[in-house]
Amino acid sequence: MAASLIELEKVCKTYNQDRPNQVRALVDIDLSIAANAMVCLQGASGSGKSTLLSVIGCVFPPTSGRATIAGKALSRMPDRFLTIHRLNTIGFIFQHFNLLPGLTVLENITLPLMPLGVGPGERRERAGRLMAMLSIGHRANFPVSQISGGELQRVAIARALVNDPPIILADEPTAHLDHALSLAFMEIMVDLQQAGKTIILTSHDQLITRHPAVERIIGIEDGKIHVP
Amino acid sequence: MRPSLMLLVFLGLLALTDGALFLHHHQQGIRSAAEADVMKITVAGLGLTDLSLATEARYTRHPAVTDLVVPVMDHPGAIEHFPSGSFWASPVSHP
Amino acid sequence: MISFARQLNLIDYSLSSLWRRRGKSLGVMVVFAGVIFLLASFQMTTRALTDAAADLLAYAPEITIQKMTAGRQESIPLEYQEKLSSIWGIRAITPRVWGYYFNEISGANYTILGLDPHSMPLGDQLGQAIDTGALPEAHEVVLGQGVNAEVAGGDKSIFSLFRPDLSLKAFALAGTFKAETNLLTYDTLFMNLDDARDLFAMAEDMATDLCVTVANPSEVSTIAKKIAALLPDTRVVTRQQVQKTYQAVFGWRSGFASICLLTALASFIIFAWDKASGLTPEERKEISVLKIIGWQTSDVLVLRFWEGVIVSLVSFVVGYTLAYIHVSFFEASLFRPILLGWSVLHPALRLRPSVELGETLLILCLTVVPYLAATVIPAWRAAIIPADSALN
Repeated sequence: MAASLIELEKVCKTYNQDRPNQVRALVDIDLSIAANAMVCLQGASGSGKSTLLSVIGCVFPPTSGRATIAGKALSRMPDRFLTIHRLNTIGFIFQHFNLLPGLTVLENITLPLMPLGVGPGERRERAGRLMAMLSIGHRANFPVSQISGGELQRVAIARALVNDPPIILADEPTAHLDHALSLAFMEIMVDLQQAGKTIILTSHDQLITRHPAVERIIGIEDGKIHVP
Repeated sequence: MRPSLMLLVFLGLLALTDGALFLHHHQQGIRSAAEADVMKITVAGLGLTDLSLATEARYTRHPAVTDLVVPVMDHPGAIEHFPSGSFWASPVSHP
Repeated sequence: MISFARQLNLIDYSLSSLWRRRGKSLGVMVVFAGVIFLLASFQMTTRALTDAAADLLAYAPEITIQKMTAGRQESIPLEYQEKLSSIWGIRAITPRVWGYYFNEISGANYTILGLDPHSMPLGDQLGQAIDTGALPEAHEVVLGQGVNAEVAGGDKSIFSLFRPDLSLKAFALAGTFKAETNLLTYDTLFMNLDDARDLFAMAEDMATDLCVTVANPSEVSTIAKKIAALLPDTRVVTRQQVQKTYQAVFGWRSGFASICLLTALASFIIFAWDKASGLTPEERKEISVLKIIGWQTSDVLVLRFWEGVIVSLVSFVVGYTLAYIHVSFFEASLFRPILLGWSVLHPALRLRPSVELGETLLILCLTVVPYLAATVIPAWRAAIIPADSALN
């Protein structure tokens, strides 16, 4: 049993297999990421970066090869269990935050708690702690359409953290942020790493790729790990 | 208050309304049972065959014992009594 | 317990998303409740009327004999009574003079009824149906409440009606029928046989029809056949035929209107399908976000299911409740003109709507089930949206 939290062995992902429009998005990926690491995936669009992120994020299992995320092998895991594993293991931060407009800050943050059957009191308490930590507590009952970009970003982070997952996946988190907010984001990521989380980012932003806390950059090209 | 609780309260209010309506229905039943005897005597004593609901034409008051030609008895071009007249079915059968 | 708490959370969430789209949700609910309201009011009104008619007509005359000439009803000679004396089982024969009297001033049609009630079944108790006064003696009349208000002006004790030759015939007011009997007597003037004959200028030895009372109810149809054989120029109407006619009349009317309402129902289903099934890009995005952050496909489906259940059941119950109130407290005022016509004399319709389980279930199946199908089926398609579409 490897010590690493994320262990990929000869992972392939093929879309539309055995059809004329077959696409091999990942080809024989070998990758291992230790617990408590902070790494950055880098690759052009169409390089297979999003597919790799999906496999690591337990969104779908690989077509072939072994993918072990937080101690569980994804291969042939039924969708139902994959979803449960994702709910418990992965916190997602999306490029456009993907918050649901119309819902309040509090409602957005507690979305991952709903299918767990967590009652409203505990939902508010858990979200309250995170909002206090990220200093957005005063915005709890605001619709997300009425808060600033920096606050949106912290709401997205809070939502990723609310289930207390060991792995945080952030897809181009700073693409739409100005310099100051990007710095603030990285500061939070560093804090989270120190709190024991494993952080995987995708980015082209030099502020991230050259950030001292990022210990490893993994390049992807044509579905393969590319060593720069 | 969580939304599902609000829904529950709303459904409770609806149930109360419907319960009150049910009680009213029940009361009405008791009252109409008390009136039933008088109605029975009236129908049997006068030999009535119909309710006095639609009375605008002579063939709508007692459709069961008038005959088929009554609607045109006054005048072949008599103005039809709408809507009762046009809805009336003719007497079903007679030996 | 976990799954109960999870269902509660999902109900919370579906309520809040209904609230977020409150314009759309409210619109659907108003239309939904409106359709239920129309269907249920109509069903309750027709059922209450048929039930009332069926209850009362159980006591209609067992056999009525009408004379037919050239296919038309005519006055029947009193001597026909003697021809029936040979039939065993006839308890009494009551000649009646009845007909219509048109009041040119108000435009109302009255029903004039002249008979001696003592030979009718329960006729001796007829006094119980009369509010003030007694059974009519010679030159007296008992009025229904509607006629009383128009003709006697409430307090007049003497009034006159026109004979066919426009000479006046004076009547003294003997009493009025009780208000409870309005559904039967509202337009009625009840008088002596001779007075009615005089008013209509009928010959002394004639009547409008003959009511036959039978000793043994199970022999009604046998006796009716015997009468028809003895009096070939008459029409013999039995109570059963009267009841059938009345049921057919209301059955036919309600059938006609049901067809009109079915059109409304069909357009509602199309409307509901359109409103409920359309998944906007925002809704698609919402579903993909929910899925990637750890909601099961089944959670998304259950969510849509709860939305559909809440919208349709709440609308159903509200529509049905309003329908009951409409029929019971407002005398089904929306349907009165269609069902009853616009007669001049309208008794107050005190309907006691009955809620039949079978009919309620039918309406439920015709509305709630298609609505649920319209909400859940497209959600099923949406649930197949891959979760990773939120990543790009």
